Amino acid sequence: MLSIKNLHASVEGKEILKGINLEIKAGEVHAIMGPNGSGKSTLSQVLAGNEAFEVTEGEVTLNGENLLDLETEERAREGIFLAFQYPVEIPGVSNLQFLRTAVNAMRTHRGEPEMNAAEFMKLAKEVSKQVDLDPAFLKRGVNEGFSGGEKKRNEIMQALLLQPKLAILDETDSGLDIDALKVVSDGVNALRAKDRAILMVTHYQRLLNHIVPDYVHVLAGGRIIKSGGRELALELEERGYGWLGIKEDEAAAAN
Amino acid sequence: MKPAPTLSSAFLQPSGNALPGPLLSLREQRGTALVDMPLPTRKTENWKYSSKHLKLSDKLATNLPAGSATTSAAEDGYRVVFRNGVIDPQASRLPQVDGLTVQRFADLSDDEASALAGRLDNTLDTNATQMARLNTARFEDGLLITLKPDAVLSEPLFVIHEVTATASGSAFPRIYVDAGRHSQLTLVEEYVSSGDQPVMVDTVTEFMVADGAQITSIRLTAEDQNVQHIGATGVRQQRSSRFESHCVGFGGPLRRHDLQLRLEGEGAECKLNGVVVTQDKQHYDNHTCIDHVAANCNSEETYRNIAAAESHAVFNGRIHIHQDAQKSNADMNNKNLLLSTGAEIDTKPELEIYADDVKCAHGATIGQLDETSLFYLVSRGISRREANVLLTMAFINELVTQIPVEQVRDSANERLNRFFDDTFEEA
Repeated sequence: MLSIKNLHASVEGKEILKGINLEIKAGEVHAIMGPNGSGKSTLSQVLAGNEAFEVTEGEVTLNGENLLDLETEERAREGIFLAFQYPVEIPGVSNLQFLRTAVNAMRTHRGEPEMNAAEFMKLAKEVSKQVDLDPAFLKRGVNEGFSGGEKKRNEIMQALLLQPKLAILDETDSGLDIDALKVVSDGVNALRAKDRAILMVTHYQRLLNHIVPDYVHVLAGGRIIKSGGRELALELEERGYGWLGIKEDEAAAAN
Repeated sequence: MKPAPTLSSAFLQPSGNALPGPLLSLREQRGTALVDMPLPTRKTENWKYSSKHLKLSDKLATNLPAGSATTSAAEDGYRVVFRNGVIDPQASRLPQVDGLTVQRFADLSDDEASALAGRLDNTLDTNATQMARLNTARFEDGLLITLKPDAVLSEPLFVIHEVTATASGSAFPRIYVDAGRHSQLTLVEEYVSSGDQPVMVDTVTEFMVADGAQITSIRLTAEDQNVQHIGATGVRQQRSSRFESHCVGFGGPLRRHDLQLRLEGEGAECKLNGVVVTQDKQHYDNHTCIDHVAANCNSEETYRNIAAAESHAVFNGRIHIHQDAQKSNADMNNKNLLLSTGAEIDTKPELEIYADDVKCAHGATIGQLDETSLFYLVSRGISRREANVLLTMAFINELVTQIPVEQVRDSANERLNRFFDDTFEEA
């Protein structure tokens, strides 16, 4: 489904990704782990199409189509979804209006009729229950005044509504207490499907206890330096990043 | 040194003599006082940014001919139609409510007219509103709204100011509201135009608000691009009265609104909301001034400007807290959104405080649409155009939704949509 070949990307002239190679097939769940500053978030942002990052080399295809040629909104309509590490607060735009606009943009793209306000309200209420978010949140500004956990649940709610082909979860577990982690994980597990892939980016392996990945990759210094199965995450948990020759502080300092 | 430009004598010849004698004499007397009136220049502080847009060519000196009715009376709702500054009784539909009278200046008895002549301009600092003085020398007709104590008009009264610009000239509409104790009124003023010749609208609206009265004033300025609009609103508030103002303005070659309030009785409060939207090479200038004269009064002011393309918006908000106005509570907030690098917004909060026990807050910001928010929205499949619209609307939505008359909200939204169509391209 997603194929990344020799991807290089930089921000403000500084190279962060230095040749990423990754193949993700439909139905698979991949986890990318790595120390702070290794390029995990950059990879997520580049895939979603953030123009602050410049792709200098390499290619990315989604189901054979060149992803890098597409605008951010076109990538989303083709099925890329990024759950943000830091979801943005947008006062003045109601969550409901935002979600409905997004869902209808997708429906229009697929040639389906738009959902009217009443139909959408019904759907949104169901999905908000699924992530244990009070429907009252729908009326508030997008993420406005939400706690860290509420913001993350709102991200997962969006994924459930938009039904992407590839969901990229950027540090979705950060800032969650154990109950919220359970709710978010249940939401992500509900997304698991034969025709959908999930890419989780995380610093800690704790999330992987709840969402069990098929593959684990270690990202350091802008490259994937090791790949393996579930057991790689456990090993990292036990031994830290040091045994792979990475000093976490240095990796952060280097970036 | 070049002498300062003065008002051309052509502007000092009022037309129309349908007014009662006392108003005709007032007009003449005020006209005489304007001989050699210096026109605002760049050096006139309150016209600093706008004087160059004020184009008083002699072609504008004549009154526009009173237009003929193009619309028939509304079937529901109360309304008064000014056509080129003269009331069209055929198109108006007046409320029949105990204690409320709505009269044309032309229909006033000599006694009523004489009383009114003694009061016109008494809500305004005419040193700061030069063009309101011209209105008093030139108005051809006007609307006097009188509310007896406790009179309540539960539905809004619409005043439609229409100019028909098939020839050059000016209109000088005038409204005076005398709101008795504990009376209530919502007055909607809509400024619209047709035709394409250069014209000027020089308009003045005054409110005398007695103890406990509650007045809501809504003002939608949306004339075409051939219309210079200069307006002044004066308000004097007595004890425990409340005045609420909602102004929504769309730009033009010149749009100027002076809003002056005097809180003269204890416990009076006012709330002023303003939204300005400009595009192309338009210019909009809002000057507000709140005088806290008495103690224990509250004022709350929220203005938002959005400037696109090469347009220019100006906000000047003055709060003057007099020495005896202890326990005043004043809050002024002005936020500005620039939608292009060619646009300009100038904002100036002015606080003058002579009392020592007051709460006075002000804040002004200027910014652009937030890139991070835009990325968040488009990453959900929302088009760039729609994301721009959502974020721009978010900037003013709070103020638009507070407008208490649905019909005005709808007109404002319809005009805003046109602005979005012009400003944000389809992907």
